[in-house]
Amino acid sequence: MTMKNPQLLLSMETRRKIMPYLLIAPVIIYYFIFWLFPVINSVIGSFKDIEDQWTLSNYIYIFKDPVFYQSVINTGILVVFSVTVEFLLAFGLALLINIKFKGSSVFLFLAMIPMALPAVAVGAIWTSGFATRGWLNSFLMTFGFIDDAGKFLFLAGGKYASMLLIIIVDAWQVIPFVMIILLAGLQGIGNDMKEAGYIFGGSRFQVLRKIIIPMLKPTITTAMILRIISAIQIWLIIVMIFGFNRIPVLLEQVVLNVDELGSEFFLRIGMALSVIVALIVSLVAILYLKVSGSFEKKDGDSE
Amino acid sequence: MAVTLELSNIAKRYSKKVWGVKKMDLQVKNKEFIVLLGPSGCGKTTTMRMVAGLEEVTRGTILLDGKDITDKAPRDRGISMVFQNYAIWPHMTVFDNIAFSLKLQKIPKKEIRLRVEDTAQMVKIQELLERLPGQLSGGQQQRVALARALVVKPKLFLMDEPLSNLDAKLRVIMRTELKAIHLKTGATSIFVTHDQSEAMSMADRIVIMKDGEIVQIGTPDDVYFRSASVFVAGFIGTPPANFFNVHCHIDGKDITLTNENFNLSISRERFENLADYEGKNIILGIRPEDIEIVEESEALFSNEIMVIEPQGSHQVVALNVSDNIVKMIVPAETKLQYNDTLFLNFKMNRLHLFDSDTELRIN
Ligand SMILES: Nc1ncnc2c1ncn2[C@@H]1O[C@H](COP(=O)(O)OP(=O)(O)O)[C@@H](O)[C@H]1O
Ligand SMILES: [Mg+2]
Repeated sequence: MTMKNPQLLLSMETRRKIMPYLLIAPVIIYYFIFWLFPVINSVIGSFKDIEDQWTLSNYIYIFKDPVFYQSVINTGILVVFSVTVEFLLAFGLALLINIKFKGSSVFLFLAMIPMALPAVAVGAIWTSGFATRGWLNSFLMTFGFIDDAGKFLFLAGGKYASMLLIIIVDAWQVIPFVMIILLAGLQGIGNDMKEAGYIFGGSRFQVLRKIIIPMLKPTITTAMILRIISAIQIWLIIVMIFGFNRIPVLLEQVVLNVDELGSEFFLRIGMALSVIVALIVSLVAILYLKVSGSFEKKDGDSE
Repeated sequence: MAVTLELSNIAKRYSKKVWGVKKMDLQVKNKEFIVLLGPSGCGKTTTMRMVAGLEEVTRGTILLDGKDITDKAPRDRGISMVFQNYAIWPHMTVFDNIAFSLKLQKIPKKEIRLRVEDTAQMVKIQELLERLPGQLSGGQQQRVALARALVVKPKLFLMDEPLSNLDAKLRVIMRTELKAIHLKTGATSIFVTHDQSEAMSMADRIVIMKDGEIVQIGTPDDVYFRSASVFVAGFIGTPPANFFNVHCHIDGKDITLTNENFNLSISRERFENLADYEGKNIILGIRPEDIEIVEESEALFSNEIMVIEPQGSHQVVALNVSDNIVKMIVPAETKLQYNDTLFLNFKMNRLHLFDSDTELRIN
């Protein structure tokens, strides 16, 4: 048999196997150029000194720097508290909106506004809010909660007060995002699942704990992992409200070294620092997925 | 027999124009198996949900074992329910699904295991107790839902179209099993369906609903042989009853029902209620098996066969009587052919007569 058409040289089977790779090829190429390449570049860069010699000195510098440990601790505190607060409030709001009371869609719309604002705008809003003559104080004065002498010095507080402010601002911006994810998950749970819970003896709380939350677990895991990762990477809000180095956190230090200090030496420190941040993020993510049981094999489970 | 459930004048209004149920009065006796039957949208699910406490009533009261449960939470009512889409929880094993209510009642672990295993045995899923619902077929999930509802030994057992998601063969098997389970447990039950043959085969009494109201309550024989309205006669039966518009003429002891196809004489004695209908039009209903093939001399009318539908055990023959399709059931042995002319008569003791305006039964 002679084959003129070259396409026929490949069996149907082979072509079927190659097809998916052809289809995702553009994505992979994109990935290589715009992601993998820069990443490899900075990983290599972090192990070189300004004379382009291999070295560990960048890392040693970081690990000797007390500000680094300070920023790890600060980041840790912010992650734990902001993610917890955000999750609890967002879950409460999602449950509330999911009841579909009168005006719940208006409420949903209002609740989503902070999400639409870019971080820079959020920073601007709150910097002007926290100023001693800012809108927060004048708001409180207008309603008579405080008088002129009692104005809060929001930005002059200690470290923990400042971090509390950061958590509040971050929560304000992020809660809608978490809420939307949870709400989508809630709406995927059939009403009859809950109703069966009520019929078979469950109180509202028991149905929430034994049926809704377990069924929502994949969604919760997704929301939490996204939030934890971006909470580790918090920096812009802090810098906008407090400037650099007041409340040092990991990513702020990266930016500080790379963009602000501006010399070749600090650029390399910044590279090393970002490698460390990337490792921390991956580690935390894997740890969380492990703890939440997402790696457990669900045999034959098809929902 | 003691009354278990009593619905007095209950109604459900969803919005200004939409009534789920307009008016319902119903008494369900102890150990009775009641079927709510009606076309889609007639308010069966709404009724069920009001009894279960999943929907507030707009009006009326619900008594269970003599106690007013109208405003009670579902879990305080002593009822259980099988949902149309099973609603078994995907994250719990079959055992945990069935044991859910018992665990909440803080029943000792040993007793829970015994009761769950007993119930699983009854619905034949004892091998599946450790599986997750995602690993079960539709029919098996159905059985889990059934077991979960049975295990609580409720005062009242509600089932909302529990068989409608099963394939035709399994549906017929489950019908029989459900009825057997009912006979064994004696649980007072309300079963919802839009499938009249399911209703006929399972019910002690059928409640036929239309547009949010009850149109007839009765045993399967009642609703079949003494259908309360044109709607009921046309809803029940496979195929359902045939209808003819006839003119009623009363002359002394004789009554004649006339239309362009036949003159049917009936004796006045047996149709006393027709007295008021002299000179008026009424609707005559006749069931497919009550039309007989007779000798030409005894025929009421004759007609050509339009279509023959063999069913194995019998055949359904369709005739075109003045542009009105009439279906009749003929024994399988009768040799018939397309276009044959049949000579036909009605079984006189099986006539259904209805008022043309109200469409309600006269005789
Ligand atoms: N949640 C609801 N909101 C508004 N209308 C509803 C709702 N549920 C049912 N209905 C309406 O009430 C009527 C009865 O519905 P239902 O009880 O579900 O009927 P069935 O179960 O007999 O098919 C229908 O007209 C339906 O559209
Ligand atoms: Mg329904």
